[in-house]
Amino acid sequence: VRQKFYSTVWVAVLALVYLDFPIRVGTAAICAHGQECHAPSLADLFDRVIQQSSRVHGISSELHSDYEQYFFPSKNHIGKRKCHTYSILTPADKENAQRLGREELTEVILRLLGAWGDPLSQLHRSMTQDQNQDFNHYSSNKALEMSDMVHELRSGVTKVAEKMKLLGVISNALGYMSSPESLAPSSVSSSYERGDFNSIDHHDLLYCFRRDSNKVKNYLRILKCTTLPELDC
Amino acid sequence: MRRAVGSVPLLLMLFFIGHAKETRYSPPGKPKLTSCRSPEKETFTCWWEPGSDGGLPTTYALYYRKENSDAVYECPDYHTAGENSCFFNKNDTSIWVNYNITVVATNALGSNFSDPVDVDVVYIVQPHTPENVTVTVMEDKDGPFLRVSWEPPRKADTRSGWITLIYELRVKLEGEEEWEEHRAGQQKMFNIFSLRSGGMYLVQVRCKPDHGFWSEWSSTTYIKVPDYFPRETSVWILIAVFSAFIFFILTWILNLKSNSVKHCLLPPVPGPKIKGFDKQLLKNGRSEEVFSALVVPGFPPTTSSDCEDLLVEYLEVYTPEEQELILEEGKDLQEGCLKSKGSPSDSDSGRGSCDSHTLLMEKCGEGEGKEEKHQERAQKGKRQQKHQTGWEEGDVSHTREDVLSPDMSEGRVKTWPSVFSPLPQYSSRPLDHQGSLETARQLCLSDSLFPPPSTSSHLSYNAKEGLALGSGQQEFYLGKKQTHPSNPQSQPRWHLQAHSDFNISSMDRKQAASGLQLPGFRSTEYVEVQRVNQEDMVILQPLFSSSCQRDGHLQIGQGEDYSKVKGVDSGNMLLLQREVEVKREEEDGDRYSCDIQDRVTESCYTTSTAASSQVTGKPTSCAGTAMPVQEEMVLAANGYVDAATMLL
Repeated sequence: VRQKFYSTVWVAVLALVYLDFPIRVGTAAICAHGQECHAPSLADLFDRVIQQSSRVHGISSELHSDYEQYFFPSKNHIGKRKCHTYSILTPADKENAQRLGREELTEVILRLLGAWGDPLSQLHRSMTQDQNQDFNHYSSNKALEMSDMVHELRSGVTKVAEKMKLLGVISNALGYMSSPESLAPSSVSSSYERGDFNSIDHHDLLYCFRRDSNKVKNYLRILKCTTLPELDC
Repeated sequence: MRRAVGSVPLLLMLFFIGHAKETRYSPPGKPKLTSCRSPEKETFTCWWEPGSDGGLPTTYALYYRKENSDAVYECPDYHTAGENSCFFNKNDTSIWVNYNITVVATNALGSNFSDPVDVDVVYIVQPHTPENVTVTVMEDKDGPFLRVSWEPPRKADTRSGWITLIYELRVKLEGEEEWEEHRAGQQKMFNIFSLRSGGMYLVQVRCKPDHGFWSEWSSTTYIKVPDYFPRETSVWILIAVFSAFIFFILTWILNLKSNSVKHCLLPPVPGPKIKGFDKQLLKNGRSEEVFSALVVPGFPPTTSSDCEDLLVEYLEVYTPEEQELILEEGKDLQEGCLKSKGSPSDSDSGRGSCDSHTLLMEKCGEGEGKEEKHQERAQKGKRQQKHQTGWEEGDVSHTREDVLSPDMSEGRVKTWPSVFSPLPQYSSRPLDHQGSLETARQLCLSDSLFPPPSTSSHLSYNAKEGLALGSGQQEFYLGKKQTHPSNPQSQPRWHLQAHSDFNISSMDRKQAASGLQLPGFRSTEYVEVQRVNQEDMVILQPLFSSSCQRDGHLQIGQGEDYSKVKGVDSGNMLLLQREVEVKREEEDGDRYSCDIQDRVTESCYTTSTAASSQVTGKPTSCAGTAMPVQEEMVLAANGYVDAATMLL
């Protein structure tokens, strides 16, 4: 009897695995019906990533204002706070941004997005673990959403960059793509690695992220309008 | 360093002021930074509000510190933006950098610092108003519309993507109070539809960066919509005209055919057709007069105040042995159907099954006795007989026996239409007490088949008062009480009882005996009074001679036809009326035609045989010797002759 049981289990597992493959394969092929598959144009890609970055920024603003309402952190903290992305040099005005060029701008964007992947997950984890405040349950969902979207945004911008390279808009001299993870500044990330956040840390983190998401959005727009000057710009 | 340098004259001033005690001077009040704004995210301006100056000339200085730097800087430009302001030009402006700004008010006596304010330029953007707002009227198939177009404010660099603006516009009619607002997103053009023709519109536009403040509304642009005729209105006008046209046509047609329409919608109300009933009186609304016109002078007999007068006399009719009255129980009676089908002549209301105003009853012609059912009926008849005993008082018991006992020998009058069931209570005290007038009225004699007139047959009828039998009761005794021992003087009550117990079997036998074959049922049978014997019995005979014809059976007795009760005179005499014979017809078919002239209504009813299919009631005009004697009769409200009036 035991033999029979094990054999049935084995068969079931095999069946599941076997079934799983087509599913995975299926999802990869979006245009499987034989119709012409049109890859999205650069303009479409730009629109998508800009929309997504806008959403990310919106959520981060909401979260930040929620924290401000609940905790009223003293203003002194702002001056002393240092965002962990401080080391990433970002253009601080229009001229600098325009002077930077498309490749570098893209790189900056990718760096920023890369630098925030882990901290956001940690933020979410910390929020869910923090049982003191009720509103953390509501906010932790937003943090999770934010974290996921940043990941998607990063892959989207990567695709945009690839497309631009394909179109010859930007040169291939982009070394950032190869190792995105290593650019996270380590000086400040240690505090995040501790995983020991409190509400003040949450607030600071959110402040920093709000700003950085705004930068990302703005840089993407600049990138789009310099690459594809259209009616929207 | 600058700060240290600046404080020296301050100290000197304070030293001097310390001596000036007579004037009230004080250090300046605390200034307050009101707002900082950037119109294009490249420069920004901060304004402050000075506090009290303390009576001395006060100077204001703005100092700021950038994020993550301890260097303090003073405002580079105090004048460009006006009084009490500080303008940061492009070189001094950094985006995504936190500025910590403080304003210091200084006079001879002291200085005062404002609260520091943190500013990130990206969040304080408030653009200028959109420019070049143009509105034009454009034409469309549905009508004109407004096209509003504008340009972003000059300074805002949307072209490079540095700043992204979304727009909003508002419209209103001149003279209105409420604006109609529309979001236009990032587009720089907008269409407005559904305009009022000839109206003057006001349009304004404003803009906002995706995270920032709304600009001011642009200056109003006026636009006048030309006059036009909206399409919808013309369609409605067309529809209205068309409907009006149709309406007029309909009205005209209606007018032409008003009579027939009136007749269709409001059929004429049948009026009462009671002789002596004066419509005019009724219209006048004097009910007393109306009813008084109907009152027969002879009734109620005022000579005797005895309520017994109202009782129905109990009339017994016996048939001699040799004659057997063959009464057929109407199957229809059993069925309780007693509508007088044969009264199409009138559409009078109030016609029940007993339409006859005479004492003759008509039977509804619904069911037709079938010969094959005779046996059935015989059974029923017997049952009913027994039932009848129940409600007969002892007074009449003997008479009943007379009637009942010879099942075979005597026939019974049949048919009381069950329509009488709704009559007022049938009181089983028929004799001694008064019946109500109504009950008395309800007497109708049903016709029955009469035995062949060769034998003078007497039917015994026991008339019972208040023939309000249940619908199941099909028996009526029509008869007069033979003896009235208790009160011989009293007028014999006239009980009409229609006994629908019909001894079919006897009939059959009798028929066989007499060689007659009566067809099964006759819806209406009439009895004629043959004579009144000395025992105060009215001897009736079937109304062969008068008008009924039977198939193959011709009347034998052609005697005078006294089938109609003319009335009861004061001497308690039943006045019978002679009628002219109606010519008989022989038919092969199964049809009877019995014509009876209704005294009151002057309608004739035809009866059908049992074997025949249908009863057709047809009024035929009988040769009329029938004289209206209504006056002598008390006519019940329902049109039936009140048999109580017949007294023997």
